[in-house]
Amino acid sequence: MKKRLYLIMIVLFASFSGVLAQVKVSGTVTDPDGISMPGVSVVQKGTTNGTTTDADGKYAVSVSAASAVLQFSFVGMTPVSEAINGRSVINVKMAAESVGINEVVVTALGIQREKKTLTYASQQVSGEELRKASNNNFMEALSGKAAGIDIKTSNSGAGGSTKAVLRGDKSLMGLSEPLYVIDGIPMVNNKGGQPGSYGGTDGGDGLSQINPADIESLNVLKGANASILYGSQGANGVVLITTKKGKSEKTTVTVNSSTMLESVSGLPDFQFKYGGEGSSVYSWSKTPGNYQSNYIKDFFKTGINETNSVSISGGNDKTTVYFSFANTHATGILPTNTYDKQNFSLSQSTKMFNDKLTVSSNVMLTNEVSRNRPGAGYYNNPLTGLYLFARQLDFANYKTNYQTFNKDRNMYQMNWFSSEEKENNPYWELYKDPKFSKTNRLIASLKASWEISKHLKFEVRGNIDYADKLNDNRYAAGGNPVTVSPNGTWSYSKYTDQALYSDGIFSYNNTFGDFSLTAIAGASFQENIFSDGMSVGNGTTSLQYPNEFNFANMPYQVMFNQSINRVIKQGAFANAQIGYKEKLFLDISARNDWASTLALTGNQSYLYPAVGLSAIISQMVSLPESISFAKLRASSSQTANEVPFNVVSPDNRYGGAGGPGGIGGIGRNSQVPFKNLKPEVITSNEVGTEWRFFRGRAGLEFTYYSDVSTNQFLTLGAPSGSGYTYYYVNAGKITNKGFELTIDATPVKTTDFTWKSSVNFSQNKNKIVELIKENPDYQVGGDDEGFASIIKAGGSFNDVWIYKFNKNDAGQIILDANGIPTKAAKQVKVGNVNPDFLLGWNNNLNYKNFFASVLINAKIGGVAFSKTEAFLDAYGVSQRTADARNSSTMPINAIKGTTAVTSIDPVVYYGAVGDRNRIMEPYIYSRTNVRLGQLVIGYNLDVKKLKLPVKEATFSLVGRNLFFFYKDAPFDPEQSMSTGNGMQSNDVFGVPSTRTYGFNLKVSF
Amino acid sequence: MKKIFIALLFLGVLASCTQNFLNENKNPYQITDESLKQDFNLVGSPFSGLLLSLFGDQIEEDLCYDSWMGYMNTPTPFVGNVNNTTYYIRWNVYWGRIYGDVMSPSKQVIKLAKDNDLPLFATWAKLIRILGVSKLAAVHGPVIYSQYGSTANSIPYDKEADLYNLFFSQLDSIQSDFAANKDYKGFVKFDQSYKGNIGAWAKVVNSLRLRLAIRLSKVAPALAKTQGEKAMSDPAGLIATNADNFNVALLGNIMPVARICYQWLDTRMGAPIESIMVGLKDGRIGKMYAPATGDVYGDHPSSAFKGIRNGAFCTTKDAMLKFSGVNLDFNGVGTRRAITAAEVSLLKAEAALRGWAGAGDAKTNYENGIKLSFADWGAGGVDAYLADNVSKPLDYIDPTNPLNNFTSLSTVTVAWNEGDSNELKLEKIITQKYINTFTNTLEAWVDFRRTGYPKIPHVAKNDSSPDWGVIPADQWIKRMPFVNGERTGNAAAVAAAVSTMGAGAKDDIATRLWWDTGGSNF
Repeated sequence: MKKRLYLIMIVLFASFSGVLAQVKVSGTVTDPDGISMPGVSVVQKGTTNGTTTDADGKYAVSVSAASAVLQFSFVGMTPVSEAINGRSVINVKMAAESVGINEVVVTALGIQREKKTLTYASQQVSGEELRKASNNNFMEALSGKAAGIDIKTSNSGAGGSTKAVLRGDKSLMGLSEPLYVIDGIPMVNNKGGQPGSYGGTDGGDGLSQINPADIESLNVLKGANASILYGSQGANGVVLITTKKGKSEKTTVTVNSSTMLESVSGLPDFQFKYGGEGSSVYSWSKTPGNYQSNYIKDFFKTGINETNSVSISGGNDKTTVYFSFANTHATGILPTNTYDKQNFSLSQSTKMFNDKLTVSSNVMLTNEVSRNRPGAGYYNNPLTGLYLFARQLDFANYKTNYQTFNKDRNMYQMNWFSSEEKENNPYWELYKDPKFSKTNRLIASLKASWEISKHLKFEVRGNIDYADKLNDNRYAAGGNPVTVSPNGTWSYSKYTDQALYSDGIFSYNNTFGDFSLTAIAGASFQENIFSDGMSVGNGTTSLQYPNEFNFANMPYQVMFNQSINRVIKQGAFANAQIGYKEKLFLDISARNDWASTLALTGNQSYLYPAVGLSAIISQMVSLPESISFAKLRASSSQTANEVPFNVVSPDNRYGGAGGPGGIGGIGRNSQVPFKNLKPEVITSNEVGTEWRFFRGRAGLEFTYYSDVSTNQFLTLGAPSGSGYTYYYVNAGKITNKGFELTIDATPVKTTDFTWKSSVNFSQNKNKIVELIKENPDYQVGGDDEGFASIIKAGGSFNDVWIYKFNKNDAGQIILDANGIPTKAAKQVKVGNVNPDFLLGWNNNLNYKNFFASVLINAKIGGVAFSKTEAFLDAYGVSQRTADARNSSTMPINAIKGTTAVTSIDPVVYYGAVGDRNRIMEPYIYSRTNVRLGQLVIGYNLDVKKLKLPVKEATFSLVGRNLFFFYKDAPFDPEQSMSTGNGMQSNDVFGVPSTRTYGFNLKVSF
Repeated sequence: MKKIFIALLFLGVLASCTQNFLNENKNPYQITDESLKQDFNLVGSPFSGLLLSLFGDQIEEDLCYDSWMGYMNTPTPFVGNVNNTTYYIRWNVYWGRIYGDVMSPSKQVIKLAKDNDLPLFATWAKLIRILGVSKLAAVHGPVIYSQYGSTANSIPYDKEADLYNLFFSQLDSIQSDFAANKDYKGFVKFDQSYKGNIGAWAKVVNSLRLRLAIRLSKVAPALAKTQGEKAMSDPAGLIATNADNFNVALLGNIMPVARICYQWLDTRMGAPIESIMVGLKDGRIGKMYAPATGDVYGDHPSSAFKGIRNGAFCTTKDAMLKFSGVNLDFNGVGTRRAITAAEVSLLKAEAALRGWAGAGDAKTNYENGIKLSFADWGAGGVDAYLADNVSKPLDYIDPTNPLNNFTSLSTVTVAWNEGDSNELKLEKIITQKYINTFTNTLEAWVDFRRTGYPKIPHVAKNDSSPDWGVIPADQWIKRMPFVNGERTGNAAAVAAAVSTMGAGAKDDIATRLWWDTGGSNF
C-alpha cells in the first residue's frame, strides 16, 4: 500500500513539475507555394500533447521543455520535425509527401524509379498492410488491396496454393498467373497437382514458403508493359517482392506472435429427418424417423494456426544485416490435418572500396511439412461418405468401428454401408490413408554493384532457387476397391525444382540541360530444371505384400517413372527513359530472348519491344489549387512466350513394364514434326491517369488496358487418316480488355482520429476471338461429370455449360410419359466463372493508440456451380428434399403431353436432377459475394508511459472472412477446391468455407 | 574505359552460346531411335503394343459389345443409366485406338523396316493392320485404309466392298512372304504370341481369311466361297489345335474385364449368357464366370450364376454387385484370345453348311469345335454336353428389378441332329461360337448381325434417340457412328462414306453394315 502511494506521488509530482516548465511556441504552417495550411497536426514528440493549425494555418502550443521537438504532420505531406531550441515562433513550410508524387517504387529487375515517371500501372502495398490480418500466405492477404488482381485461395488450409490473375486469362494451356520476383530476381512458383471431380489434393505452390514477415513491400506491375524486361515470364504481370534489409541504425529485434483459429462457417443445409428404406444407400423414404443429426458438425474441429517470428535488423555505415526466423504450426478443420513450417532468412549488404562496390547477399530457407491436407472430389474423400451417409443407419457405430476384422485375410478392412466408388468411411479415410508432403527450399542470391563513375553503374547478380519436394500418399489395404488395390495403394513422388538466374546490367543516369536520361542495358541467363525426379504409383495393381509402402514391394508391372522439364533462356535487354523538364517521360524497351525449347524451329531467337509516354499535366499547365498532381500515361508492348519443353521433336515412350513373355513395347512418337513452331505473342496497350487532390489527401488512379494474345500454342488431334495422332499449331486470338481504378482518401484527420480509406475497383472482359480458324468448334475443356468449363471461339475463358430442363416455349418443363422431368438435349452456356467486377474497400482507422482495419471484398458477377448440392439432392440428404417431403408434393411448372402439371412427387423430381450427369440447372448460382474480408482491432501500447523496456508493442484482434453481406452460392466461391484452370467456382465435395479469428502480438526492442 | 571493358567481359561470360539448345530440349527419359537400333529393337519393339491395341477396354468393349451381346453388363448407372449399353452413344473411342495405336505406329514400322532392310517386319505389321482394321470395319463400316497416310486435306474412306477385296489381296501377298521365309528367326524377341514361328503366323493369315470370308458369305457369296476355300486349302494350314491359338500378350496389364469387374466394380456377368449357359448346362460357365456372392440365383439354385440384363435398369448397384463376376483367374492371365482353334472349327462347320470345298463335314467340325473350346477353357463334361438334346436356354429373372426379366427367345439345344434344317444347324453353330468367343466379343456381334444368332433378348432399357439413331423395339444396335473428330474435321469424306452404305443410309446406330443384309441365311 505504501509503495503504491509512493508511486502515485511520483507520477503527480512529475506532471506537476511539467506544468511548471511550460514553454509557449506559435507559428504558421504553409505549403510549398506559401499558402497557409489548416488542419496540420502539431504534436510534441514523445507525448500526446499537441494541437492543430487553424483556418489561417496558425497554431499555438505549450510544451513541457525548451528542448522539446515539435512534429508537424498532414496527409500527403512529408512530416516535419523542428527542435524548439529556445525559439518561441516556428514557421514551417511543408513539402508534398512522396506518395503518388515523388514516391520511388521498385520496377522490373529491381530498378528503382520515381512513380511519376512510369508509363504503366503499378500499385504498391506495404508489408505491414499485408501482415495486418496474420495471413500465412501473402497473396491471400493482397486480395482487395490492389486493383485488378483476382485472387482465389485453396480451401485446403494452411500451406494451400493460390490462384492470382491480373488482367484476365491469356494462356490456353498454362496458368495466366503473374511472375513473382524477389528483389529483382524471378522466383519459382510451381503449382502442385490440383483436385478434379474425381479427387485429389492441392499440391501447394511456391508462395507459401515465403515468410510474410520478411516482406518490406509488394509492388504489383499489372501488365506486360511494366514487365517487358522479364520477357515472356512477365506477360501476365509481375508481383515484385522487396524483402526487408538491415538498417544502419540501432539494432532492432522484432518479435511477432499470432494465434489464429479457423472454424467452419458454412456447411450445406442437411436433413436428418428422413432415412432410406432398409439398407438403401439413398435417404429417400417418406416416413420420418428419429436419426442421429450431429455427426457432420462434430466431424469438423477448430483449426489452430500459431505463428511466431523473430527478426533482428541492424548494422553500421558499411554493413547491414537482417535475420529472421519464423515457425508456423497449424492444425486444420479436418481432424488429422497438420502443417508445420520453419523459415530462416539472412541478408547482408557491405560497402567496400570507398563505397564504390556494394556486395549483398540474401539467403532464405524454408522447411514445410503438411500431413493429410484435405482434398476434394469423389475418390478417397472423407466428406462424400460423411455427407451422403444413409440417415437411417447408425453413424456412431461406423465412427467407432471404422474397420472390421476380415478373418479370411487376417487383417482389418474398411467398414462402410456402401460400396459405391465415391463412398468411404470418413474415419477410415482419416486414420488409414495418410498423406504426407514435404518441401525444403533454398533461395540464395549474391549481388555486386559497382559504381564505375558518377553516372555509370554495373551490377551483376546470381541466384539459385532450389526446392526439394516429396509427396507420399498411402491408402491402406481393405479400402474401396475402385481406388485402392487389395494390398493397398501407394503414390510417391520425389523431385527437385531448380532455377538458376544470373544477369549483368549497366545503368546510366545523367541530365543534359532540360533532358534527363536513365538507361540500362544488360543480359541474363536463366536455366530452369523442374520436376527433376521420379514418381511411382501402383494404382489398383496390387502391391506384393499388404500395407508395406516401399519400392521393393512394388509388383513388376509398375513402372518407375523419371521426369524432367528443362528450359534455358538467354536474354539481352535495354531500356531508356528520357525525361524533359520533369514533365514528359518517354520510355523505350526491347528484349531479345533465345529459348532452348524452340531449338530446331529457327525461331529460337525473338525480339520484342515496348514504348511508353507519361506527361505530368500538373507541371505543364496551371490547375486549380485543389489538384496537387495530375498525370497522363500510355504504353504499348509486345512480349513473346517460348513453348513448353520437348514438344518440337520428342522421342519414343516406353510402352509398359512388359511381362514374363517379353519386353514391354515402345510407344512410337506419333506427333507431326513441328519445325515451324513460333513463340506465342501478347500485345498489350494501356492508357492511364493519376491524380492527387487537396494536397494529396485524396487521389485517383485509372488505367484502361487492351491485351491481345495470338499465336497460342495448341494441341490438336491429327486427322485419323494422316498417319499421325496429334500436332501443334500456333493459332488463336484472345483479347482481354478492362480497367483498374484506385481511389484513396483520408476523410478524417485530426490529432486523435484518422480514417484512411481506399477503394480498388476493376473489370476485365475476356473474349476468345478465334481458336482454330478452320475448325470453329474447337474447344479447350469439355464435360466434366455434368459441368463443362469451356474455352471456345465466340465465348470467353471458362464459360460454364450445363444441361438444363427441357422446356417448351411457354417455359414449362416437359415431363416424359412417366411424369419425369426431361433433360435438354444439349448443354447450354449459362455464364462464365469469372466475375464482372472486383471490388475491395479497405479502411484504416486510428484513434489515439487504437487502430482498426476493415476490408470489404466483393466479387460481382460470374457463376458458381455446386456438384455437392447436386449429390445431396440425388441422395435425399439435403434439407430441400426434406422440405419437399414434408409437404409431400412440390410445385412445378411443367407439362405432360398436353396436360399442364403443377405439382410433382419430390422423389420423382429429385430423381431427375442433380447427381453426376442429370439436369444441373438447379445447381448454378451467382458467384457474386460481398464479405467482411478482414477486421483488425488493435492497440499500440504507450511503451514510454508504461515505461516498458521496448520500442514498440502492439496487440491486435484479427478476423478474416468473418461473414458475408451477400452470397448466393452454397459455398464460398473464393475458397476454391482447385487453383488450376478447370474447376473454378466449382464445388465437388470440397472443404466447407471457414472463418478465421485470433490475435496478434508484436513487440520491438 | 578499362572498367567498362571488364564489365563487358563479365556479360560475355554470362551469355553462353545457344548451340546446346537441341540437347537441352530432349527428354533423357524417352528413348531415341538411335538407341533402339541396338538389338534391332527399332523395328521390332513396337509390335507387342500393336498387337495389344487390337483390343479395347471398358468403353470400347465392356460397355459396348460385351453388354450388347449379353456377356457382361454394368451394375453402374453410367451417365444417369443412359449410355452405350442402353443404345445412347456416350463413348466412341475404338476408332482412335486403331488409328492412334495400330495404324500410326505401324506406318512408322513399315518405313523403318524398309529403311533397315527388314522386309518381313513390314509384312508382319501389314497383317496386324488387317487384323485391326477388319475389326474396326465391323464396328463402323467404311473406314480409312487404302488412303491412310495421305497428305490430302480430306482423306477418303474405303467402301466396305473395296476394303475386303483389298484385305484379301494383301493377305495373298503376306502369305507369299511368309511362305518364302518359313525359317526366318527375326521375330523371336518381339513375338510374344508365337516366339517368332513364321509358320504359326501363316496359320493366322489363313484363319483370318476364313473369318472374313464367312463374314461376307451372305452379301458376296462367290467371293466368300473363293476366299474361304483358299484359306482352307492353303498349305500353311489353319489354326487347328489349341496349341495353335492366336493369343495376344497383355504386357503385364491386368485383363481389362477382370480389372473392370474386381477393381472398378463396374461389370458383372450378362443375363443372356446366363440364360444360355445355365440352360444348356454348359461346363465352361465356371471357367468363364465366378459364382454369385449372394442369394440371387433362386430361380436355378443348382447353378450359382446370375447375370445382369443387357441394357438393364440399374437401380441398386450394391445388390447387383452380388451377381457373378468373371472367373477370378482372369486377374492373373498374361494373354487374351484373338483367334482360337474352336472358332476356326466352327467357321469350318458353317463353311460346310454352305458347301465350301475343303470344309469337311459340318457335324464333325461342330463337335470338334466344342471339344476344342472345352479343352481351351479347361472345362469337363463335353461328351454329355454334346449329347444333350433336351436342355434349353432359361427364362431370366432379375431378383433386384423385375423390369429386367425376359423370356428366352432361344430354344436351341446342343446335340447335333443331321435331320435339322440348315437354319437350325447354323443357329447351333453360331450359339456355340458365341459361347466360345467370350472376351473377344466383337466377333459375336458380327455373327449376330449377320445371322441373327444366338437369339438374345432386346435391351431392357432402350434410350436410342434421333441424336444417334433410333433402334426400334424389335431390333438391336447395328453399328457405331463415325467419330466426332471426323464428322467435323473430315465431313465431306464422312458424307461420301455414308453414301456408300446404301440408299437412305445415315451415320447412325441403326444403319446396317454391308454384310448385314437382313436377308435369309441361306
